[in-house]
Amino acid sequence: MAGTGRAPLRDRPDILVRVEDLTVEFPVGRHEVVHAVSGISFDVAEGETLGIVGESGCGKSTVARSIIRLNTIKSGHVIYHDKDLATLEGEDLRRVRPDLQMIFQDPISSLNPRRRVRAVISEGLSIWGDDKGVWSQDRIEELMVAVGIDPEFGERRAHQFSGGQCQRIGIARALALDPKVLICDEPVSALDVSVQAQILNLLEEMKSRYGLTLMFISHDLSVVKNVSDRIIVMYLGKACEIGTADELYERPRHPYTRALLASIPEPATTVDVAEGNITGELPSPINPPRGCRFHTRCQHVTDICRAEEPQMVAVGGDHFVACHHPVEVALAL
Amino acid sequence: MTEIIETPQVPEVVPKKVLGVAFWVAIGWLFIVSLIALLAPVLPIDDPGEIGAGGPREGPSWANWFGTDALGRDVFSRTAWGARISLVVGLLAITLGIVVGGSLGMIAGFFRGWIDHVISFVFFTLLSFPALVLALLITATFDRSLRTVSLTLGVLAIAPVGRLARASTLVFAEREFVQAARVLGAKSRRIIVKELLPNVLIPMGALSLLGMGIAIVAEGGLAFLGLSVEGDAISWGKSIVDGSQSRDLQNNPNVAMFPIGVMFLTVLSLNFAGDRVREYFDVKESAF
Amino acid sequence: MADTQLSVTDLQVRFPTDRGVVEALNGVSFDLEKGQMLGIVGESGSGKSVTAKTLMNLLPRTAEIDGEVIFEGEDVRAVARERRKHFWGVKMTMVFQDPMTSLNPVKRCGEQIAETLRYHLGHGRKMALRGATDLLGQVGVPEPAKRVHQYPHELSGGLRQRVVIAMALACEPSLLIADEPTTAVDVTVQKHILDLLDRLRREREMSMILITHDLGVARGRCDDVAVMYAGRIVERSATETLFNESRHPYTDALLRSIPHIDQPSHTRLDPIPGRPPEMINPPVRCAYAPRCRHAREDCLTSIPTMGGVTGVHEFACHHPANTDRGDAALAANVAVGVTPAGLHLTAGAGSE
Repeated sequence: MAGTGRAPLRDRPDILVRVEDLTVEFPVGRHEVVHAVSGISFDVAEGETLGIVGESGCGKSTVARSIIRLNTIKSGHVIYHDKDLATLEGEDLRRVRPDLQMIFQDPISSLNPRRRVRAVISEGLSIWGDDKGVWSQDRIEELMVAVGIDPEFGERRAHQFSGGQCQRIGIARALALDPKVLICDEPVSALDVSVQAQILNLLEEMKSRYGLTLMFISHDLSVVKNVSDRIIVMYLGKACEIGTADELYERPRHPYTRALLASIPEPATTVDVAEGNITGELPSPINPPRGCRFHTRCQHVTDICRAEEPQMVAVGGDHFVACHHPVEVALAL
Repeated sequence: MTEIIETPQVPEVVPKKVLGVAFWVAIGWLFIVSLIALLAPVLPIDDPGEIGAGGPREGPSWANWFGTDALGRDVFSRTAWGARISLVVGLLAITLGIVVGGSLGMIAGFFRGWIDHVISFVFFTLLSFPALVLALLITATFDRSLRTVSLTLGVLAIAPVGRLARASTLVFAEREFVQAARVLGAKSRRIIVKELLPNVLIPMGALSLLGMGIAIVAEGGLAFLGLSVEGDAISWGKSIVDGSQSRDLQNNPNVAMFPIGVMFLTVLSLNFAGDRVREYFDVKESAF
Repeated sequence: MADTQLSVTDLQVRFPTDRGVVEALNGVSFDLEKGQMLGIVGESGSGKSVTAKTLMNLLPRTAEIDGEVIFEGEDVRAVARERRKHFWGVKMTMVFQDPMTSLNPVKRCGEQIAETLRYHLGHGRKMALRGATDLLGQVGVPEPAKRVHQYPHELSGGLRQRVVIAMALACEPSLLIADEPTTAVDVTVQKHILDLLDRLRREREMSMILITHDLGVARGRCDDVAVMYAGRIVERSATETLFNESRHPYTDALLRSIPHIDQPSHTRLDPIPGRPPEMINPPVRCAYAPRCRHAREDCLTSIPTMGGVTGVHEFACHHPANTDRGDAALAANVAVGVTPAGLHLTAGAGSE
């Protein structure tokens, strides 16, 4: 997988966030670095939901956190409204923050146990109160009602709520500033099965109600497909395949995407279950394989995969794959 | 397009935590001691310096509740007046420790990097420096006023308090609610004050009660070295020293034992209250 | 087939706490036949892990346990003291969600497996280590001779879980309880672990209880599935029956609420309203009633007992889904727009 190249970038006027060649490295020890994300390019159009899917260690969360600058970016660009978020610092960075908000994985950890729900939700408004005009309690009530928390409980503290309720509170907090982009980092994976659908539906509702653009990170292929318009499959810091949700799951071309789809307990019908038997261990991100990063575990590996990194190429419509030997699939449905 | 999808029910019966009877007994004791200390000048008790308020080396009586010392001074009034100095020393010392150590520790834990290295180095230096030598040095260099003694003990409190503040800050700074605040656009100062401080303050508050107890005992230690508050000022430490010649301890144990008892109960109460306070505010963050 | 290996009858577990008595299990009964794979599915707090821990005698001393557990004709709760140390971990063993909780971080993997062999089977040092290498090979650990000398932290999550499984298999158990064995690993690894468990069970004719929150895992791997809710088994049958003809409204709703890989994107999900109930002093009613679209007055006054066809498809519901009685209950609720438990039904909810 190892795909680099800007082929998946679209030339459309409604592109809201454009990520170019994003590279993130974390130092470990004295001389080594973890290659968390290595040259990934994609864009998100306004009103779209972009899903990022992959296994642990693939860099999907790092991509999300880099866009809102919760980690430092080694190189590359994150273009939002003619500004490069990758290089913004200090007050300039702080000024664009309200536009890009985030929902975290652990709903309990993401709420301050010492603060009351109302204070948590109004935090953004009180930070920006001076610039964005006076905010009222009505706004807080409106948000609480919107996410399904009875305003009557506004004076309670977070630890008195269940996981699903905490996630609702986290969503209200993020929405208070009227963001344009909402980044959801595994928002339902810590929740009970029966509560996950509530939160997924809530996110969809909030999206249409407040005109949001969503980036949805998850390891759960079914969940990502359900919420996304367009999906990126990542492996070891690289993008393997990008495409519209239905197209990608209908006609997966990259051997890794196919392996994922074949590995889940109830495999997708578009792949052969045997494709799920990928062998070997995930290579270390400190010392990733040369060439295609997936070549050590790929059933279709040839010499070129070991030597040369595949570029992202279009394989019909809005569907891109970074593989020297993309799997041929029947084009008819 | 949507109304409330549902109104999640929060359990109405939130278990009420109780501090317990023993806590209130401890607080009651601290309150009485503080009140007596505060009112010592107006209470109808003997002048603590008055020689011959009773006969020398008398046991407890109606006139002199705690008896008298070798010079016939009233031990009760000396203990009451001693509380003024001892409590103030304890309070000042720990306040200094909390304010300086706490802020340094939080700054170190929040910003990490070289700031953390510098501050941690200061803490380590303070911790490695023999406390007694430091106390000797300060009191020898400066005067032995109430201010200096408090300052000395306060300096000694900085490192332990600071290290606790740093450790708790490190834990909470990792939490997602701190990142959420950052994403909302909160500045570092706001994050420290609004998000971290309320969380760090709980263990610090408990520690400050404990630390006050330690400072009070430490003052007693200084008194034995003759390094406590100079002149006519009376502290618990000095009162105990007064009654601690071996002859007195054998024949008139009341002179040393009453201040020791009062000090013991006070420090015990502080420790106990500190522990309960920490437990009381400790929230279990389990989802239902 | 009719060879019952494990028989659990009316198992009840209560934990006294500061806030009151947590009624973790309220009468759990099931039978497990030799060589069978039973899936226990439920959300956190449903009692699925408590069930496993009760079987394994792993509950804290404060727990109050009632009921009967017969394993291979023997009352487990009456196992004599001196036989205890060679009972659990030998005939009946367990694999946990996080392999690191079962592995000692400062001991080599081989040593840990060898220790089990020496303790329970009385093997000598050399023989035990050879046995350990052999076991690692059987569970598909590559280069077992090298891995026995490695520490747990040197292995990936998937390999660690294999080491734990090897350890559990050391004494050739006849029942293996796997508590969320793949929750902490990625999907590609999950497939390997589940394949392995499946293979081992067939090779060794072992019975297995697979505890999971993932309906897909249960559906793909188990012969029978039991669904737990609030400390009770609410439905139990052969896997395909359960998924295709679910009768308990909870099972039914759960299946509808989960996105499926073959659905087109943006398929609207049908979530279960509300959240799982409190387990402290639960009122006498069907625990699912407040969230149930089928709930009628009788659901609020009595706890439904297991009905259906005994041993084939059992469910504890007064108004089972996809039956005339259930449809009538739902229709009656939709007609007034609210269930007797106060759950508001939107217009769409009635379309089955």
